[in-house]
Amino acid sequence: MRRLGTAALLAALVIVACAGETEKRGPITLMIGGAPAELDYWEEVIGAFTRESGIAVDLMRQPTDTDQRRQSLVVPLRAGEKNPDVFLMDIIWIGQFAASGWLEPLDANIATHGFDLNVFFGRIIEFADRYEGHVVALPVYIDAGLLYYRKDIFEDHVTGRVPETWTELIEYCRVAQRRQRRLQPGFWGFVWQGAQYEGLVCTFLEFALSNGGQLVDRSGNLTLDDPKNIEALAFMRDLIATYKVSPPNTYTEMKEEEVRTFFESGEALFERNWPYAWGLHQADGSPVKGKVGIALLPKFEGGRQVAALGGWHVGMSRSSDRKDDAYALIEYIVSKDVQIGFALNLGWNPARQDAYDAPEIVENLPHLIQLKHVFRNAAPRPNLPYYSLLSRALQAELSKALSGMLTAEEALKNAQAKGLEIVETYEE
Amino acid sequence: MGLGSRSGDRRTAYLFILPLAAFILVFIVIPVIGTFWTSLFREVTYLESVFNFLGNYRRLFSDANFWQSMKFTLLFVAVCLPIELFLGLVFALILNEKLPARGVLRAAVLVPWAIPTIVAARTWELIYNYSYGLANYVLAALHIGSGPVNWLGTPLSAFGALVIADVWKTTPFVTIILLAGLQTIPEQIYEQARVDGTVFYQRFFKITLPILRPVIAVALIFRSIDTIRILDLIYVVTDGGPGGSTTSLSLYGYKFFNEGDFGYGSAIAVVVFVMAALLSVIYLRVGGFKGVVE
Repeated sequence: MRRLGTAALLAALVIVACAGETEKRGPITLMIGGAPAELDYWEEVIGAFTRESGIAVDLMRQPTDTDQRRQSLVVPLRAGEKNPDVFLMDIIWIGQFAASGWLEPLDANIATHGFDLNVFFGRIIEFADRYEGHVVALPVYIDAGLLYYRKDIFEDHVTGRVPETWTELIEYCRVAQRRQRRLQPGFWGFVWQGAQYEGLVCTFLEFALSNGGQLVDRSGNLTLDDPKNIEALAFMRDLIATYKVSPPNTYTEMKEEEVRTFFESGEALFERNWPYAWGLHQADGSPVKGKVGIALLPKFEGGRQVAALGGWHVGMSRSSDRKDDAYALIEYIVSKDVQIGFALNLGWNPARQDAYDAPEIVENLPHLIQLKHVFRNAAPRPNLPYYSLLSRALQAELSKALSGMLTAEEALKNAQAKGLEIVETYEE
Repeated sequence: MGLGSRSGDRRTAYLFILPLAAFILVFIVIPVIGTFWTSLFREVTYLESVFNFLGNYRRLFSDANFWQSMKFTLLFVAVCLPIELFLGLVFALILNEKLPARGVLRAAVLVPWAIPTIVAARTWELIYNYSYGLANYVLAALHIGSGPVNWLGTPLSAFGALVIADVWKTTPFVTIILLAGLQTIPEQIYEQARVDGTVFYQRFFKITLPILRPVIAVALIFRSIDTIRILDLIYVVTDGGPGGSTTSLSLYGYKFFNEGDFGYGSAIAVVVFVMAALLSVIYLRVGGFKGVVE
């Protein structure tokens, strides 16, 4: 009750403060979550924006956890609150937020300001930010799945190049495991995200597409039980159960942080992870500092190398009462200098292609050049308003196959049936 | 008792329960009605809100995942409750004896209950962890089995792991309630029974258990309601895995809220509420509360 009282009091104060400042144009609000260091950096970004534009910005801090960030956005947006004016979204929320009518189309402002959308990576706007023909968000940074490997073990035990096919990868893992386990009994060949959560869908997408499979076909029909997908999923299970190059806790515990710490402690040859792991692997005190290389994830024979697309995007609330100022902030956030700043300070990979050619980036983050190619070809997850529901049904079935409760075929047949039910229930 | 005989006293009494009644109304009755009301709509963030009466409930009937969660939840209650009750009773009987350092022991037994569930759940998650968990460490130190066990890796072992964590966490609650009940039994009754030449199990079944029956019912009510709507422990330890086999009803419903289907999520919440309410009524009927209920 006391907390409620305090909140009410604060709210009243805010209202009074705002009312008093309408003539002077009070601050617009930007809602951001993340690690404390990230939020501190955002304060700097906002400070610079205010100095440049004269528009004051309030930072509304959200929790770090992605689910909670989503919840704390859904509540005000659903209620049609004026604040926040601007906020960040995980790429997979955009479909739902846009379909719910919470996102203000940015086309008119983009046209008036002459902002060139071609600065962003190839098809990312089409994949993620366009809804029913309108641009409703812009990318702030992008993520893509990568293969990390231990250069030192590689050179010790295996001659040759970084594996380009999954078969090669297994061979490398087996050789390395056999030799390395004499010293490190807990050494594993390949760690990847297999726990039942959103990350599992990303990993599955990469395996499936690298085998020529697909989750949705050209006309938008669900194709989860595509034979190529089944092969890929069976292979994921085999990595654990047959080839034994991935640890048994892959499907119970391995999320990105578990995978990262496992690899970073020096217990694995290969790791599938997002670009953020690079900075941490190379940080002072990391046991694998200077011993890590990055490459594209392997493919199946006859397939192509694929990285799943992730990342965060910035959008504007339809209920914002300061839309022009809000747009100015959005355009500032995706400007080249700010994107370079994010890359240098937070390790975020710019969504703008031109940021990669900047001298500061070439000098300080040379590995980013390598990633540019990966980002250009990254594969998105289906952009649907009910994506989360679909994803959860799929996660459960994938987990059943990885744990051996069902065969890959049974699991994906189930997933397809459940997926079709979800489409039927939630299609507009 | 003549308290209620005068209308003035009666008014004072009502005044006293007014804050409680208001609290129950605002924080329990209204939300329950609100949830039920929401469950009658197709209430999805991006779709138009449509009244569809029992549509969400009809969908529950054909939803295999819902029945899977129902089965898991009921099984979890059916396994956890007897263990907790049995252990709780044993601990309560022991702690009721005149032991040295009884106060310290009583306090120690309460510790798991005092730890917030999320913290306890994280601890158990670490115990079960495959690579650096305590359970596998102990196995390795004692040279039991052939290598580490993936505790949360099969539906059965994950179920067992959750039962152990829940029993550890909540047995103290049962203990403390039963202990309070035991202390209301006058020592003279037992002495008289001893004089009559009874053996200990006769005293337990003829005296202790009958007197304790309402207290056991109270413990059971609290524990079953808590267990039927279990969320936090499972959310942290398995998050419903592997393959969704340990998804409780509350966890299943919660996910729908998070994904934007408030109508269906509410329908699941209502089912949990009705189950808990039914169980309470049954316990009250058979628990020796007849006079109180009717």
